[in-house]
Amino acid sequence: MDGGYETFLRILEDFRVVPAIINVLFLLAIFVPLMIITVLAVSLLLDSIDFKYNRTTRLLFLIPGLIPVAVAVLFWSAVVGYDVVWDKSNIRWFIGAISFSTGIGSWIVIQYGSLRSISHEVLEAGVVDGCNRFQLAWRLKLPMISRYVAYMVILLIVGTLQIFNEPNLLIYTNMTTDWSPSQIAFTYAFKNADFAGGVALSLIMLIPNVILALLFVLNTDFMKKSKSSWK
Amino acid sequence: MEIGAQRRNSRLIKITLFFATFWASIPLLWILRDVARMIFAPVIYYDNGVFFTWLKNTSIFVGSALTISVVCCVTAGFVLAVLDVPFRRFLLFATLVTMLIPITAMAMPLYVMIDRIGLNDTLLGLILASSFFPFGAFLSYLYFTSVLPPDLVGMGRIDGLGDFGIYRHLGLPLSKSLISVVTFFCFVSLWNSYHLPRVILTEPSKSIMSIGIEVFYGQGTTLIALMMVIPSVLLYLASQKTIARGIFSGAVKE
Repeated sequence: MDGGYETFLRILEDFRVVPAIINVLFLLAIFVPLMIITVLAVSLLLDSIDFKYNRTTRLLFLIPGLIPVAVAVLFWSAVVGYDVVWDKSNIRWFIGAISFSTGIGSWIVIQYGSLRSISHEVLEAGVVDGCNRFQLAWRLKLPMISRYVAYMVILLIVGTLQIFNEPNLLIYTNMTTDWSPSQIAFTYAFKNADFAGGVALSLIMLIPNVILALLFVLNTDFMKKSKSSWK
Repeated sequence: MEIGAQRRNSRLIKITLFFATFWASIPLLWILRDVARMIFAPVIYYDNGVFFTWLKNTSIFVGSALTISVVCCVTAGFVLAVLDVPFRRFLLFATLVTMLIPITAMAMPLYVMIDRIGLNDTLLGLILASSFFPFGAFLSYLYFTSVLPPDLVGMGRIDGLGDFGIYRHLGLPLSKSLISVVTFFCFVSLWNSYHLPRVILTEPSKSIMSIGIEVFYGQGTTLIALMMVIPSVLLYLASQKTIARGIFSGAVKE
């Protein structure tokens, strides 16, 4: 019979867990802020002008995320060159770059849609009050889509903490076998047939996520019922 | 001439023209068909055309799961944003937490559930296991909170609408762009889904495309990528037409 808190202790003593957490924190520190800034910048820029190739631009950002991940990794390896991939010091940057390029497109589509749901009247009122485009974006549009932005931030952070596909598909390089906590959980559950171990690690990973979600929920008006959008 | 008759006539002309063009372009279409066959030959003729079985299974799977998920998502989002339901905050938080659980941790319990009700290795089991999309439900919730202010709902109530009436006459007409966005993302996640089908479907003949195409890795990678991307791109182009500014402007006068 497995289970009990010994399982948790056993997982935490695993020598692979700490490096995996450091890997994920690296992505969290560098690529997540970059993704947030890029997504907001691109969608605000697209929303601010009448751009003829608007739809095409969003589609081009989106396409890397539509390709099945397995194929995407092969493409990426070919794009940057295999000698770069094989260098151990590059692997974090490489994984970060893949998750960056596959992740931003869908969020640009969502944030652009949320910007489009702001009503004309509000923006016109802003223009009458003398806003230029930047002030319009910074003082009106961003506060009005703040809930969507909070949603994006939570999901981007969580998605990075749980990163699985990219390192798992780079396994052929032999450098990413247990690169992220998710992968270790997967190894426990499906390779070592130790479901208790896998579940324990998943639960440990769930703790920061739930804390994060709670923080957001309690500190923003995330859970408020529908309100008048601009009063 | 009345507008109705005019519209009918122009439709008739369009249909006639369409058939005429089709008739004229049959030779060209014939060539295109042969070219497509040549390009996709390694995929189409693999294992006596098992590809078409995968395609059929995928369309059944994606079609049904997509319908169930989108209907549930939009309705759930509306209810959570507008109506007074007991345990609303708890339900919202539960939706959020469902998204935070890694799919690797979800796959096993779902598999056990599907196995218990005897639907292991069937399409129905896969459809049931995949028909949840918390991301879309939460997105709908956010959308309805910003697009349906209480004043508008109150007006609906004064005009004698019940909960379902508000959903039918206010919620749905306002949510065209939401439905298209949710449909698109749900489609992409189902179309590319890998973990659950991998665990639930074991027999190759019952497989679906996203896991079936694995046999072509290495020889036809570009071809596969192309085939997998095209439906998503087409759906994107169709879904983005409905996004327009200010669908709600001026609904409430101060």
